[in-house]
Amino acid sequence: MNKQARTLKFHIMRYNPQIKTDIPKIKTYEVKEAPGMTIFIALNEIRETQDSSLQFDFICRAGICGSCAMIINGQPDLACRTLTSKFPDGEIKLLPLPGFELIGDLSVDTGKFMRAMSERVESWIHDKSKSDVDFNKMEERMDPDAADEIYELERCVECGCCVSACATKRMRDDFLGAVGFMRIARYALDPRDKRSNQEFYEIVGDDDGVFGCMTLLGCEDYCPKDLPHQTQIAYLRKKMAMVK
Amino acid sequence: MKVIYTDSLVIGGGLAGLRIAIASIQRGYDTIVLSLMPAKRSHSAAAQGGMQASLGASIKSEGDDEDVHFEDTVKGSDWGCDQDVARMFVNTAPKAIRQLSAWGVPWSRVRKGNREVIINGKKVKITEKDEAHGLITSRDFGGTKKWRTCFTSDGTGHTMLYAMDNKAIELGIPVHERKEAIALIHENGICYGAVVRDLVTGELIAYVAKATIIATGGYGRLYSVTTNAVISEGIGTAIALETGVASLGNMEAVQFHPTAIVPVGILTTEGCRGDGGLLLDKDNYRFMPDYEPGKKELASRDVVSRRMIEHMKKGKGVSSRYGDHLWLDITLLGKAHINKNLREVKEICEYFLGINPVKDYIPVRPTQHYSMGGIRTNATGESPTLKGLFSAGEAACWDMHGFNRLGGNSVAETVVAGMIVGEYVADYCENNTLNINTKLIESFIKQEKNKISALINRNKGENPFELKKEMQEIMMDKVGIFRNETDLSKAVEDLKVLNQRAKNIALKHKISSSNPELVEAIRVPKMIKLAQCVAYGALLRKESRGAHARDDYTERNDKDWLKRTLTTWKDQDADIPEVKYEDLNIMEMEMPPASRGYGVDNTIHHSDTEKREKQIQEIKDANPDADRFQMQKLLNPIEIPEKFKEKNERIGRGFK
Amino acid sequence: MENLIINDNIKKSRLPARLDLVQSGTGLVLGLFMWAHMFLISSILLGKGAFNFVAKTMELSFLSETGEGYPFAVFFAVLVIFTLFIIHAALGVRKFPISWKQHRIFRSQMSMMKHQDTNLWYVQVITGFIMFFLGSVHLYLMLTNPGQIDPNLSADRIISHNMWPLYLGLLFSVELHGTIGLYRLCMKWGWFAGKDPRESRKKLKVIKNKLTIFFLALGLLALLVFSIMGIMHKKHVGEPYEKKEVLEKSMHIKTSPMKKEIQNKTKSDQHNTSQNISNDKKI
Ligand SMILES: Cc1cc2nc3c(=O)[nH]c(=O)nc-3n(C[C@H](O)[C@H](O)[C@H](O)COP(=O)(O)OP(=O)(O)OC[C@H]3O[C@@H](n4cnc5c(N)ncnc54)[C@H](O)[C@@H]3O)c2cc1C
Ligand code: HEM
Ligand code: HEM
Ligand code: SF4
Ligand code: F3S
Ligand code: FES
Repeated sequence: MNKQARTLKFHIMRYNPQIKTDIPKIKTYEVKEAPGMTIFIALNEIRETQDSSLQFDFICRAGICGSCAMIINGQPDLACRTLTSKFPDGEIKLLPLPGFELIGDLSVDTGKFMRAMSERVESWIHDKSKSDVDFNKMEERMDPDAADEIYELERCVECGCCVSACATKRMRDDFLGAVGFMRIARYALDPRDKRSNQEFYEIVGDDDGVFGCMTLLGCEDYCPKDLPHQTQIAYLRKKMAMVK
Repeated sequence: MKVIYTDSLVIGGGLAGLRIAIASIQRGYDTIVLSLMPAKRSHSAAAQGGMQASLGASIKSEGDDEDVHFEDTVKGSDWGCDQDVARMFVNTAPKAIRQLSAWGVPWSRVRKGNREVIINGKKVKITEKDEAHGLITSRDFGGTKKWRTCFTSDGTGHTMLYAMDNKAIELGIPVHERKEAIALIHENGICYGAVVRDLVTGELIAYVAKATIIATGGYGRLYSVTTNAVISEGIGTAIALETGVASLGNMEAVQFHPTAIVPVGILTTEGCRGDGGLLLDKDNYRFMPDYEPGKKELASRDVVSRRMIEHMKKGKGVSSRYGDHLWLDITLLGKAHINKNLREVKEICEYFLGINPVKDYIPVRPTQHYSMGGIRTNATGESPTLKGLFSAGEAACWDMHGFNRLGGNSVAETVVAGMIVGEYVADYCENNTLNINTKLIESFIKQEKNKISALINRNKGENPFELKKEMQEIMMDKVGIFRNETDLSKAVEDLKVLNQRAKNIALKHKISSSNPELVEAIRVPKMIKLAQCVAYGALLRKESRGAHARDDYTERNDKDWLKRTLTTWKDQDADIPEVKYEDLNIMEMEMPPASRGYGVDNTIHHSDTEKREKQIQEIKDANPDADRFQMQKLLNPIEIPEKFKEKNERIGRGFK
Repeated sequence: MENLIINDNIKKSRLPARLDLVQSGTGLVLGLFMWAHMFLISSILLGKGAFNFVAKTMELSFLSETGEGYPFAVFFAVLVIFTLFIIHAALGVRKFPISWKQHRIFRSQMSMMKHQDTNLWYVQVITGFIMFFLGSVHLYLMLTNPGQIDPNLSADRIISHNMWPLYLGLLFSVELHGTIGLYRLCMKWGWFAGKDPRESRKKLKVIKNKLTIFFLALGLLALLVFSIMGIMHKKHVGEPYEKKEVLEKSMHIKTSPMKKEIQNKTKSDQHNTSQNISNDKKI
């Protein structure tokens, strides 16, 4: 407690594409560290007391909603749950997530991307035999383990870390990206989704899909929700490679 | 001037908003959803614990049905709710959850055979029935008689919202992201849509619609420490208030959750206690049984929160540099359970506190959590005073929560209200044509434009961030868990001053496109008005009911206060709202006021209570053969959309 | 149930799936082949005799009555490997950054994240690129001179024909590329995942590193031995290895006319081919 409070140095990329004359630059801000300080707290302090134009996105500030992903000292991560004490030299460099449309400063448009991804992989239950359920009747049973397994993949918060961490995705715009593979894997696992392997192949069976993945595993290593990217992409690849 | 036309304009992309949009499009009406952020980031995603629906599949929920759920909900509300709405709600909740199940929510399921659970601090073995295997299971939550809260591990809201949004994407519903509704367009008591600001370009757009639905969630950010998301600022509620026509209901009913972590206020779910976690004081002593021998840690939230504060006032709190707190102990649940069913909690503890809840106690304190109040609607979800304006979810005072909502009843409400109100919205679209003069649209746009230019052009004035902070402190200190005349009147006076100061905000950063300071400047005056509605309503309500607890009026006073607060803000120059009351008619209640069975019972009863009890007995005696459905019809005949009228099936009892 | 998509003729090509399998398949075969290759080459560490024995065995000398072997066998082996090599390379090149812009993005991503598996892939690309040239030369040589695998001739190639820089480059490239590739194969197809795939990955990475070091050490040692031999053999460039002492010894014990014949025959054979080489060089 009687430790001298450190002064943190934040080096933040500033750029507002809405202003035609603006060019990207790194600006440095100093903040007195407080116990338990997260990047969320620090950035708000900077905005409230030093530079009211600083743009960034936080919503839940609890690591739940996935809106605050950014590049923190080179690593994609959720800023709201990153404690400043993690950085022994007190230097923190913040960049917006690459691979997404920049809105301004640290804020990027993940929403548009994720919607397009959802549409591309048809991120919903497909069951041609039913148009809608009879919700008065008892629900269809599901194996408890199956439910748990689906939840494991459903934990994705669409933060985009895996997209930014994937050099393949960065090089090739049309590459689906790990978040899409996780989504496909999630539905492929779900007994309620009646899509066949052939149908999934139509979505991911090419070099923009699972065969374009070069197994760089940035997705696996930077997913803040620890989704099992490596095993699931491998599983998907096996399945797709065997499609007749 | 950019104008976008649609049939139903849904402001808010949380569970409630999306469900209404789905209902609209399924009935063939054009719809657009507006959201501050991608819909999947709405605060609904943060709900961890679960959704209440009386499926009765798990062994500990055997015997559960709509009636028991109804009873719990009304008791939870401290009889402040609208019983018709509560009825519609409990009858529809099982349908909602089953539909969501078909849409993809991976609800946790019953596993047949033996299982060890923690009940009342002790390990107990329970045996799930073979025939229930694979059905949706449920856990215990505060204030419920049965284990009724269905869940997916501890990511319930997340999985629900994802399933809902994915369904919306399947149906091709457009979600316009990074758009903020800043005013409603209305004339002669009819609402025609909203003026919307694009948060990226700063452009003002008029969205014109037959029906406008506000589903913008709660207003927790009126308080400095809250479990709510930073966007839960109540702007949707505020723009309804600013019409001067629509009214807000029960704004003083603000819930405090017992277990948010100290200091940041991030929630640890009620599931922690539901699954067997305990509250301990500085001596590691379990104090709740002393106060609430019946339900102990699992009394309703308002009760547990108050008991915790009481206990800390006795000097039993653990002191820390952030003030006193208590401990939440989930170590007794064991590693496997925590890793599986409370993982989100574990992550939060690890990341924000640097502790491991498998071994360490969690520092917790009651924290602002839920807004029972909101835009007053009738049972169809429509504002009784502003035609064409609907509201649902936490933003609304549809009023099934009264003065305290039960854990798990809120996400359930969003979906059920989405279904029911969604049908009424579609009906409204069917029965009305859009008839609007472009002059009107123009004048509303112009008004907002002028306000924004004034903000940008003003050279010297107030700092919006500071105003907000001051307001949040006032609310936290003076309009908190325990309230009294002195603090509340001070709060009202302080907020009046803030309201004046808010008219004089000036910006440092003078651009009209994406500019966080401008966003704040637009919101803060609205938030101060809402805060004033809460504070003023609390000052006037001289009783204690549910979450509204007055030190100076400790009794629940059915005699004088069994009524709903209605707030309007007609005069834009005023500093306080106009307040009216709407009586709750005991003679129409299915369940007349009584004791909740937890907390202190010092109710001052209403004379009708006894009358109604007698009447109900008579009806029961006169119809000895009536089953529970017939009885409900006799006691509480409700209207409900055709689609949702059927009975619900349950394991072991069919449709009975 | 009827499958809509299959009935429609929008069916997606199965080619990418096949190509991915071929890429991995060729990679796997090449990767494992290189292990074998390195063991075989390093037989030189046990002496010229051992290497010679290996070389002859490769020529399937044990099949022929004369024990003379069929250089054809080596020719075919090389042909097969060369083909795999070319197929693998052709498929691999598709993954290369195709433009300067893509390359720059990849580099900036690497310097930003400093993420190991991403960097390893870049190592594969670079080493693949190098092998494209060096490997081709080596394989071409082996293809055109299948009978010239011999302790002395190999040593000569390395020193007197100045092949050692090529082999050094090739050695580093192939050992890095191959072991990284095999590790990546495990990740890519989920092999050896075990109960805890994350743990397994860590273990596989350790194994990968150890294998790289092991084979590099083995190769360097072999190259060193070859070089020393090559330097010592400088004066006799082109003279193949003769199992003089061995043969003489055996002759002492039991002089068989058959053996003598063999001895002579192999001598002349080797002589001929070594001339071929010098001819090659002249051209
Ligand atoms: C931490 C936490 C845990 C909870 N856990 C549970 C639980 O376990 N069980 C339970 O039943 N309940 C729980 N709740 C309560 C429940 O989650 C919420 O009440 C419910 O999700 C609210 O949903 P909603 O659809 O009304 O609004 P939200 O999900 O809050 O959505 C609001 C939407 O409105 C949009 N919006 C807001 N303002 C504007 C504007 N001006 N213009 C345009 N768009 C706007 C936002 O972008 C957002 O899309 C919890 C709440 C919290 C805070
Ligand atoms: C011209 C020479 C070569 C080139 C250009 C080349 C290129 C590549 C590339 C780009 C990859 C990555 C493929 C991907 O990410 O999907 C790769 C993988 C691989 N390479 Fe090579 N390579 C060459 C030679 C070799 C050799 C000689 C070996 C044998 C050791 C080898 C073994 C492997 C293995 C095992 C893999 C992993 C297979 C896979 O990822 O599917 N390669 N190669
Ligand atoms: C069937 C095919 C092959 C045959 C028969 C073969 C044969 C040989 C021989 C005989 C040598 C010893 C040096 C010499 O005689 O010149 C050698 C060395 C070497 N070969 Fe090959 N080779 C083959 C394929 C490959 C391939 C595909 C590669 C890698 C791309 C490779 C890489 C090397 C390296 C690096 C050395 C030097 C080893 C050392 O001394 O450390 N070879 N090879
Ligand atoms: S898979 Fe992981 S990293 Fe990717 S978007 Fe989802 S949560 Fe983020
Ligand atoms: S980082 Fe990219 S290349 Fe594949 S393994 Fe992950 S998607
Ligand atoms: S703000 Fe929601 S994850 Fe960081």
